Amino acid sequence: MQAKTLKQELENIAGQSNVIDDENILKQYSQDQSFVAPGKPDMVVFVESVEQIQKVVKLANKTLTPVTPYSSGKNLHGATIPEHGGLILNMSRMKKILEINTEDWFAIVEPGVTYRQLQDTLSRQGYRVMVPYGIVPERSVLSSYLERDPVLASPSFENGNSLILDTELVLPDGELFRTGNWATGGRPGAPNGPIRNTIYRLWTGAQGTLGILTKMGVQIEPLPKAGKIFFIPFQNLSEAIEPIKKIQGKEIGTECFLINSFNLAAVFTEEWEIPETFPAAISASPEFDKARQLLPPWTLIICINGPLRRTEEKTAYETEALKDLCNVLKIDIYESLPDIPEAEVTMLAEMLRPWKALKKFNYKGSVHDLTFKAPLNRLTKLDKTLQDLAQAHGYPLADIGIFLLPLERARAIHCEFDLHCAHSDKREKEKVKALWLQASSSLINSGAYFDRPYGPWAEMIYSRASNYTSMLKKLKSEIDPNNILNPGKLCFGVT
Amino acid sequence: MQRNNKRSIPAKLTPEVYKALEDIVGTEYVSEDRAVVECYSKFSVDSSGALKKHAKDPSNIPACIVLPANTREVQAVVHVCNRFKVQFIAFSNGMISFSGPTTPEPTVCVHTSRMNRVLEIDENNLTARLEAFADYAQLQADAMKRGLWNGGSPLATTLCKLSSQSAFAGIWQTDHKYGTLSRNIVSIKLVTPTGDILITGSDTVSGMDTFWEYGPGPDLFSLVRGSGGTTGIITEIVVKLHTWPGGPELPEPEAGRPCIQTYTEAKYDTGSPPKHHKPLWVEFPDFETELKALAEIGHAGIGIGLNATGVYNSYYCSQTQEMTLERVKEKFFPPYNCYLILSAIISEKQIDYEEKVCRDIIKEVGGTFLSETYKPEVLDALAPWNLDFVRHVTGFRMNRHAYGASIILGGPITTVAHKTREVWTKSIDTFGETYITDRGGMDDTPFLYSSNHNGRFWLTEADAYPDMTNPELLQKSQALVTSGIVNTIAHQYGPGANGLGVSIEPVTSFFPEVGPNAHHLFRKIRNLFDPNGLCAPGRQVFSKTEYDNFPDDVLADLNKMRQMHGLSTIKKEK
Ligand SMILES: Cc1cc2nc3c(=O)[nH]c(=O)nc-3n(C[C@H](O)[C@H](O)[C@H](O)COP(=O)(O)OP(=O)(O)OC[C@H]3O[C@@H](n4cnc5c(N)ncnc54)[C@H](O)[C@@H]3O)c2cc1C
Repeated sequence: MQAKTLKQELENIAGQSNVIDDENILKQYSQDQSFVAPGKPDMVVFVESVEQIQKVVKLANKTLTPVTPYSSGKNLHGATIPEHGGLILNMSRMKKILEINTEDWFAIVEPGVTYRQLQDTLSRQGYRVMVPYGIVPERSVLSSYLERDPVLASPSFENGNSLILDTELVLPDGELFRTGNWATGGRPGAPNGPIRNTIYRLWTGAQGTLGILTKMGVQIEPLPKAGKIFFIPFQNLSEAIEPIKKIQGKEIGTECFLINSFNLAAVFTEEWEIPETFPAAISASPEFDKARQLLPPWTLIICINGPLRRTEEKTAYETEALKDLCNVLKIDIYESLPDIPEAEVTMLAEMLRPWKALKKFNYKGSVHDLTFKAPLNRLTKLDKTLQDLAQAHGYPLADIGIFLLPLERARAIHCEFDLHCAHSDKREKEKVKALWLQASSSLINSGAYFDRPYGPWAEMIYSRASNYTSMLKKLKSEIDPNNILNPGKLCFGVT
Repeated sequence: MQRNNKRSIPAKLTPEVYKALEDIVGTEYVSEDRAVVECYSKFSVDSSGALKKHAKDPSNIPACIVLPANTREVQAVVHVCNRFKVQFIAFSNGMISFSGPTTPEPTVCVHTSRMNRVLEIDENNLTARLEAFADYAQLQADAMKRGLWNGGSPLATTLCKLSSQSAFAGIWQTDHKYGTLSRNIVSIKLVTPTGDILITGSDTVSGMDTFWEYGPGPDLFSLVRGSGGTTGIITEIVVKLHTWPGGPELPEPEAGRPCIQTYTEAKYDTGSPPKHHKPLWVEFPDFETELKALAEIGHAGIGIGLNATGVYNSYYCSQTQEMTLERVKEKFFPPYNCYLILSAIISEKQIDYEEKVCRDIIKEVGGTFLSETYKPEVLDALAPWNLDFVRHVTGFRMNRHAYGASIILGGPITTVAHKTREVWTKSIDTFGETYITDRGGMDDTPFLYSSNHNGRFWLTEADAYPDMTNPELLQKSQALVTSGIVNTIAHQYGPGANGLGVSIEPVTSFFPEVGPNAHHLFRKIRNLFDPNGLCAPGRQVFSKTEYDNFPDDVLADLNKMRQMHGLSTIKKEK
């Protein structure tokens, strides 16, 4: 009876066809490709306006119904799997790019706007949005920025970080709130405020537990007029550390990352399609197997961009500085890869649309990453920790995909170590899961900082941060006293 | 003026509380001596505090000063304050308004001056760990020896502490590349108002290095930044370091850079730019050309600092107040201008390239470079900026007559620059100026700071400079700023949102338009950190009690101001 009343009230808010309780559909929302335990919602509500969201949240407070905010559901880490049933608040139909401002270089997006949609729209006007490497193109830009997915330009302090400008959100009590210039209801275009702070950052990394973002201003910039890719091969990880530090210290290039042969080969495998669903279909590829043999174990990839003014002069002096530095460091630098035709062309295209990295999902269908931040000088130790564990668990070392992205000129490194397994093979899944769990905890013991603690990482991290956790819990109960928003996530377990 | 014969008697702590504080820090480091506490009662940019002095209202005078030596002692002091329900406030230099207690209750002033060390420069993680009282100058001196620096310093001078700036502002001359201080903090250690320790960033998770600013999960630092001290006392701060190509030491003039009133010769504050740096100064024929050029240079992504300086040049670059006034009168400095700081981080060719780009833009847009052949005497006079953009010294000259209050707006350049000029002009037209230099921003450019590398958003500033000995002028300066801010909010614009609105933040509680109702959320946050309502009373946002006790006559005045700018009057929420 209770459920029926709730459904009717939701239908009154969102329209009959937008409230769904069909078991088959609910099941789709109950799991993703991650190891996060499945959890079924009671209903899915498609909303299309801020007012509807406010009404749903107010109703949820009245009826003590959990609400899981859902923008595109493509985070692949279980962040939208409801732990305690309730509603999936599906905003994927809020797909409007509300503004593209080419004078002050920002775009305003709704939660359903995807990277592909925004990048395609912007590039037609000569602009681009910064995109994380290997992101699902149908991923919501808003939720991805909110979850602090680091973009490929993150090595650059100026262009790669803090890309969020103004935000609009619905607080857990259903009240509207705006940050940045928007806070006074006028024109957007700046991040700080209201009252002289950077409060928008509170909602980042929050997995929808503290508020529901309904609009976001993001920085955009003109498409580079030219781009030049450089490849620096390394036989082992430790050799790459000093060059990364030196190159980043000189602030050369915008994009820069270190990638191992497994992940790089996947990008170049023509036989593989970019998957659209996750877990993906498994597809064996001799081309991939060959490429990963041919490629050096590690490749540092750097992109030097040419701006609109004096394009060539800029790329020339930056290239010269890079080559001079490589000379001093006695390392080889290439503008192409000998065994992969047009690798530099493929890579340059990836800077704008880095979807090809997703081809790695073809290998076994699902990818379980260990995603964390670490200081540069800890990388070799962390790599070794994982290798030792993989060996102990009988997981092939050659099947670990690795992507390492310097942040803010290598103050920190965003690390993604991938383990692959066939989603439908229960035994393999259990085995890989055991390795993944043990590796998570061992890496944390060795200084890997999981700043976005999804699924089981939450307990591992929050148990080591008692004061921070207790303040977060107090905050949650102060602003979401009914624990409506995405209960159970992070340290907000239901007691 | 009538003489006020009232005696000003500050509130006192009970002997029990005083003894408890002595037990923590020792008798040497706590004082309620009238001569001492008075020193902690007069601040910069604090018209309302100065008015209290005129009214012999003692509520700006703390009951005692306590100087803890470390975090543990700060914690113990806070515990005592909680046990006895005594209010307390952190204090660094007192260079900004609202530093003193704003209620008549006896207040403990926690001066962090004994915690003044740079604890670590970490070349691996590009961070520096500082105690609460370590300042920009100390940090830069240590970091530059290792080819690193923190990215900037405020005009309030490098004597400012990074800890108090993070609780308050942190606007630098080089925000263009490095952003404000808020973009440069990796971690803080905070003694919360209840005496707990809160650490932010990766540092909060045991076993982690101090290298990453976010999380775990939601970012609690965002609640401390800009809180005006209401979230507790920062005892340590870890900031980011960036590449510094300028050499291990700054080319300081031989006699140092004293910036003391009696040193009237330019040589004392004039040095050459640091190595591998080049400032360019441009004069524009009018405001529109200036804005166009700034927008274009901003978009070109060149340089590390990009700002327009208005009346400020006449203060910072003039060694005496007479010189300042003369130069204002003569319009000695170009009223529309900008400076761009170039830095050779990648290679020396970076400066060549960026200078060419700047010159291309000026050619397209209009404007003239100050040079040896065009107004060399002006370029010469501007020389204090050669070093001040890095390690600011001469900014304090703004205080020479008296820097009473500011409006600071934020946002995209075209709108924000015009809005500042518009609201400030309306304020001055309505209430009149307190001093000739209040006209800065009307007759010339407001101060414009690029706060984003591609010039997406900017901060602007216009100020009032009332004679602090004249209460009427102080009141006028308050009216100027309040009117400016109310007007800005009425236009659905900035200070409530992005700028500072110096001296008015808690009053935002009476502007439901901001947020909307930002005060509801902020009050919850204040309550979360400080359930006993003891820490930094009357700042950032009013607690429920402070809100309820807000004087009705002041609210009536505020409502008049609201009406004047087309906003409806408001009543206190019950
Ligand atoms: C002439 C002049 C120019 C200025 N120019 C600039 C500028 O260019 N950029 C800019 O950003 N600002 C500027 N300011 C304002 C500037 O923000 C302040 O001057 C500066 O933050 C004050 O630092 P302080 O160390 O004197 O702090 P205080 O005045 O002692 O304290 C400032 C606030 O922080 C709190 N606080 C102090 N210590 C702590 C602590 N350890 N933990 C928590 N809270 C604490 C205090 O309670 C107070 O609310 C200017 C001021 C002047 C007078």
